[in-house]
Amino acid sequence: MSILDNISEMLQKGKAKDVQAMVQQAMEEGLAPKDILEKGLLAGMGIIGRKFKNNEIFVPEVLIAARAMNKGVEILKPRLMADGMEERGTVVLGAVKGDLHDIGKNLVKMMMEGKGLKVIDLGVDIKCEEFIRAAKENHANIIACAALLTTTMEEMKVVVEETKKAGLQDVKIMIGGAPVTQEYADLIGADAYGKDAASAADIALEMCAG
Amino acid sequence: MKRDMEQWVENMLRAENKKTMPILSFPGTQFIGVTVDAMVRDGALQAKCMEAIADRYDTAASLSLMDLSVEAEAFGSPVKYAENEVPTVLASIIKDAQDAEILQIPAVGCGRTGEYLKAIEYASHTITDRPIFAGVIGPFSLAGRLIDMTEIMMQCYDEPEIVKIVLDKATEFIIKYIEAFKEKGANGIVMAEPAAGLLSPSLMAEFSNPYVRKIRDAVETKNFLFIYHNCGNTIPLIEEIVSLGVRVLHLGNAVQLQDALEKIPEHIVVMGNISPAEQFRQGSPESMTKAVDALFASCGRYKNFVISSGCDIPPASPIGNIDAYFRAVEAHR
Repeated sequence: MSILDNISEMLQKGKAKDVQAMVQQAMEEGLAPKDILEKGLLAGMGIIGRKFKNNEIFVPEVLIAARAMNKGVEILKPRLMADGMEERGTVVLGAVKGDLHDIGKNLVKMMMEGKGLKVIDLGVDIKCEEFIRAAKENHANIIACAALLTTTMEEMKVVVEETKKAGLQDVKIMIGGAPVTQEYADLIGADAYGKDAASAADIALEMCAG
Repeated sequence: MKRDMEQWVENMLRAENKKTMPILSFPGTQFIGVTVDAMVRDGALQAKCMEAIADRYDTAASLSLMDLSVEAEAFGSPVKYAENEVPTVLASIIKDAQDAEILQIPAVGCGRTGEYLKAIEYASHTITDRPIFAGVIGPFSLAGRLIDMTEIMMQCYDEPEIVKIVLDKATEFIIKYIEAFKEKGANGIVMAEPAAGLLSPSLMAEFSNPYVRKIRDAVETKNFLFIYHNCGNTIPLIEEIVSLGVRVLHLGNAVQLQDALEKIPEHIVVMGNISPAEQFRQGSPESMTKAVDALFASCGRYKNFVISSGCDIPPASPIGNIDAYFRAVEAHR
């Protein structure tokens, strides 16, 4: 088994320390940081995403795998930046104003990062203007809004409308959360609806790829 | 009113025309003209709300509020209130092992738990034509609010001993809380354990079910029924859930109920699962009728199926949609 396969396997088991050590070792052996990222870390997260979709693994396993990936990325990041490697896209993510629930949002973040996307996580209870400001500052491709409550999901409509008014025509809006449906996304004019965290990450990657 | 709840379950299984049992409480604020904020702080208003719903709808039982912040608040969690939204726990209060060790088990009655007990006491005197159930949080869901939901998921792997300390304390409190409901006249409880729906079967077997079982063993009697509610993706967890041995399961709309019914023995009543958000809150009377018809078409042939909402019906759900639900159900009875 190659070291990249080992990185993927340890990541899938959520072994953050092992992932860190193997990423370091791979760099010392002269492997390209881009390969370590794509064929080791992101490959492992890809398998995690598929298994999650198929009910082979569950939320805790995704969270610890994503944490292991982030530990590996921390080591790679200076080299990736020095090599001028660009992210596959940037997503500004948050739970909308009034909504304090974050586990779904956190899962989406981890799944998106697992696709090589840069995620600006604004947190919970995020006002419309904060989404727009962060999208401008980070030249985001996507604003992703989460909501768990039927009352707060109505804020998503405000985000869609205000983003258009702010002139961010190229920024796509995607929405998700327990009470949200494709019909609701269509109704408020959102560009995409993520049924679950893994699907949201797939859709975001597609939208960033253009 | 004391009732034979074992017989109630048997009657429900045998009945050709089963009554529905939606988790319907908060929309009752619209009948009595109060805000959710006022109601969650006042047991008398809660009882009035339950009465208003019982007067209007012919349900199999009356349910108190499903407010999953009450127990965590009693432990000391900060809670955010809103005029017409169910309260939400704001932040975790357990960051490490020491916090878990010093966590005090609150006295039953502290915080707003006293108001929820009062609601059952009052309602048990005024609603006498059907059983009354109190809503209670499950142990893992409570521990998740105390620790933080994302953190507890990872701590199941990293720091299982911390999770178990908190689970023990949550369990001890929940048992006492349920016993108090029993004394006030409840005929049973609906225990909401949604956070366990995010776990793998093996983690559920380690971090939720032993505690749920302990609670059930402590409180369930011939006259007091334990209903288990989980609105997560329960299909991969069905065997674990069935192993709890409860007589009534209430499942959410994250699953196709027919898939669950296929796997659940016929002696267990399975309630569910019209979407609270998609139909009750955002749907229309027409879409509701279609949803009810579709659910009966897929599940109506199972004798242990009882139609219900998939979870708690949101406070601002239009009454027209709720009325349409009952009309559509009635058409199938």
